[in-house]
Amino acid sequence: MSQQDNYRFQVNLGGMIDILSNHLYSSPKVYLRELLQNAVDAVTARREIEPSAEGSIKIDVTGAGGPATLTIQDNGIGLTEENIHEFLAVIGQSSKRSGDLLAQNTTFIGRFGIGLLSCFMVSDEIVVLTQSAKGGPSLEWRGKPDGTYSIRKLDTELTPGTRVFLRCKPGSEAYFEQEFLENSIYYYGAMLPYPITLQTEQGFKKINETLPIWIKHPDMARSHKAEVLAWGERLLGERFRDFIPLQTASGRTGGIAFILPQGVNLNAKRAHRVYLKHMLVSEKAENILPDWAFFVKCLIWSDELQLTASREHFYENEQLEEVRSELGESIRGELITMAELAPDRLQAIIGAHALSMKALAVEDDQFYRIIYRWLPFHSSAGQRELGELLREHKHLYYTLTLDEYRQITHVAAAQSLVVINGGYIYDSELMSRLPLVHGGVEVERLLPEDVSFTFTDLTGDERRYYYEATRSADAVLQDFRTQVQLKRFKPSELPALYTLSKESSDLRSLELTREAATDLFSSVLGNLSTGLQNAGYATLYLNLDNPVISRLFNSGQSAILPIAIKMLYVNALMMGHYPMNRQELAVLNNGIIQFIDWGLSSNHNNGGTTA
Amino acid sequence: MSKSYEELMDEVYDLPDGLAKINLLEEAAREADLRNDIVDAYEARSMIVENATFNGYPMKALVAFSWMLGQYDKNRDLFDEYNLLWSYKWILDKISCFPDIPLTQINELLEDMRNRYKEHGYSDRTYYFYTSVNLLQQGKVEEAGEFLKKFRSMDEDMMSDCTACEQNRLVEYAAAAGDDEATLEAAKPILKGKMTCGEVPHVTISKVLMPLYRLGQLEEAEKQQKKGYKLIKNNLDFLQHQSEHIYYLSKTDPFKGLELLERHYPNMLGHENPFDKMMFLAHSSALLELLSGESVAVAVRLPESSPHLNGIEGQGSEGKGNAGPIAAAFREDALVLADRFDRRNGNTFYRNYIQSL
Repeated sequence: MSQQDNYRFQVNLGGMIDILSNHLYSSPKVYLRELLQNAVDAVTARREIEPSAEGSIKIDVTGAGGPATLTIQDNGIGLTEENIHEFLAVIGQSSKRSGDLLAQNTTFIGRFGIGLLSCFMVSDEIVVLTQSAKGGPSLEWRGKPDGTYSIRKLDTELTPGTRVFLRCKPGSEAYFEQEFLENSIYYYGAMLPYPITLQTEQGFKKINETLPIWIKHPDMARSHKAEVLAWGERLLGERFRDFIPLQTASGRTGGIAFILPQGVNLNAKRAHRVYLKHMLVSEKAENILPDWAFFVKCLIWSDELQLTASREHFYENEQLEEVRSELGESIRGELITMAELAPDRLQAIIGAHALSMKALAVEDDQFYRIIYRWLPFHSSAGQRELGELLREHKHLYYTLTLDEYRQITHVAAAQSLVVINGGYIYDSELMSRLPLVHGGVEVERLLPEDVSFTFTDLTGDERRYYYEATRSADAVLQDFRTQVQLKRFKPSELPALYTLSKESSDLRSLELTREAATDLFSSVLGNLSTGLQNAGYATLYLNLDNPVISRLFNSGQSAILPIAIKMLYVNALMMGHYPMNRQELAVLNNGIIQFIDWGLSSNHNNGGTTA
Repeated sequence: MSKSYEELMDEVYDLPDGLAKINLLEEAAREADLRNDIVDAYEARSMIVENATFNGYPMKALVAFSWMLGQYDKNRDLFDEYNLLWSYKWILDKISCFPDIPLTQINELLEDMRNRYKEHGYSDRTYYFYTSVNLLQQGKVEEAGEFLKKFRSMDEDMMSDCTACEQNRLVEYAAAAGDDEATLEAAKPILKGKMTCGEVPHVTISKVLMPLYRLGQLEEAEKQQKKGYKLIKNNLDFLQHQSEHIYYLSKTDPFKGLELLERHYPNMLGHENPFDKMMFLAHSSALLELLSGESVAVAVRLPESSPHLNGIEGQGSEGKGNAGPIAAAFREDALVLADRFDRRNGNTFYRNYIQSL
């Protein structure tokens, strides 16, 4: 009575399995995902024609003593003989198509055939018993990894649905163990809409929970805070304190963005867990949220995105871009609402994730306008929130780089200027745009040379008195394209301040590099530096309020002046973290020797007088 | 107080590309210089070259590269030549953007690269390619086309740019030649997404906006503008391209264009690339001139320290707004730069270009 026909795959199945296991899937354990997928698809398909049908998926493992056999049973739509051929032919199709078969937007993410093939990674014999809900005989399908399969009509009629039997192949035992199954089924299927039960020693155990209402309506998550946080902890393995519900306008993608309790590195991989049509497809999806959103870890579910062949990442296409920007908008919108209604909550987030907030503010003026008050900046008045600084000061200064900040911060602070260190990422850009979002504030980039405008000029008498000494000091530094200015400024402990404009600073590094470059590049740099010569001189400000400077200029010892000025010059260079060229290094060396010599001879003289 | 090389480099790896990272690398290079550690200093500088090249600091890249090449010639066994030779292309890509570097020197640099490539077994293809790139940059479109032909007749080698970058040059060439149809044709595989890389289609899209607009494909132009601007808006290296978006928007949505202008203007002020500055000022002045003719007075918001506000009454004061005078100030600066380029290049290409806007 039974009828048996033999068919052959049109591809080398061994090769195919090798491709699947070694190149496509990250691990053989995905066979379980594929089986679950097939079962879920089948149930979904049955409910489309019989909406009242209650889906159920059961898994158990038998075979004590011998090789284990895993059975997965669903009460879904089942397969007709035609279906079986069709599904398996898919594999042949895929090799003929230029597009990626798995990427095609189909009603069901799984394709029975491919899914079943993945089972060969862990099994050498697969048996499928199936009864289509649309009628026809019950069928048995047997497939082997050598590429043959057979179909047999059964005498008895089974209840509609499909049962798949996998016999564990040697070496794959780990994938059939109870604990592995329990964990993996939850891992992949926590969000599946039908109950999945696993037979354990204690009887059948339901693995997935009933889906809470906020999965379908993420905005309701706000009123189920404890439950949402519990799900987050269970699925993502971290304890969170706050979250933002995510939803796209179409309602086809939703999720929960859990706010990471502590700050993260800007370059850290942002691994979100994404479920496509209820099935886990990735726990390291990076491209689903905008780059700036690195302060959240998300659970996302969607039924509209397309997966790459491995089914672990999404195709970078317009649809993904749309979803990404809408999810970003959910986060941004929530932050904006917080600024208005729950500033404390926002402050807590900014406290831990200032960089993320700044990254977004740099891209988005409107967002910047809403949150700038709480952004922290490093300033000469300490680490402060911008709002505080703005309450106290109408005029803020910032530097472009850390180097510039270091050079002038002490001097600026002594003149009570508030200078913000723009050397940190995003900060100078945000400062330059501050007037666009906050009216009435003057923000100015401060160059090292600018601090001098607060210095006190010498009086006319002093000027005459120090004229000669200043002139000789100035002459000493001509070779270094530096002029000397004698001023009074705070702090008085600072004897000298070296300042130069961005152009002179570029010039310095050009000239310095010429010493190391090839002849050709040296002359190229020479031409560039000629163009910068107009940038003018650097300035060495000497502080007459400083006791040493004062003594130097009043000592009347013209012999010591040139070398002292040069030493002050190189000292100021070192204080400002400027690299020195050969000539300057020579000054330093000679100067030290000279001063030691003077020191020794004066000691010697002293010694002589007391002896 | 000072951080060690390792500490600095650790911080570097945590930072996204940009000025903050480059500054840290410079500090690391200085630290290595102080210890006379050529290998560390070379490593830091090679990262500077790459970071500076792709984030809008071509001068810093040139300086660091000059140092590297000098050290390499003195200590050939210490360093790998492949990366060095590869980055030579980045230097030559931007060298004509500095009007102070005379043509003879640019040609010497091209020859130097050619010889070094030859010495390591690479063909002249890349030399032809970058000769063409430089000629185009110098407004010598026809000659650039001849070198492109030579380049296209040769087989790729390990020094060749990626296909997307090469295709993009064909787009730039057609655009410079003023052939709208050819520009779009050349851009087709890029716009379709068949050729992409780190900077393509970013730099390509701004080249097709005006051709699309002139050929009446307004919807496509608008779509590409939105898509393209997103790709370039946060990187200083794309100042020229940002300005091309501004110019296009002056035709279709001038107030949107003004938003872009205000956003990017502060970056232009301190920008290291004189060519990009010129383009930005020229394209922006075209937009502002148009806005100054609006019936409502337009107030342009520039930072108060802006040199272009000198002698111009307060922003948004009553009456006619400040768009007109700022446009004039921009244009004047753009023309000064254009004349410097034209004098070096021996033509009047950029003055003509600016006057045609």
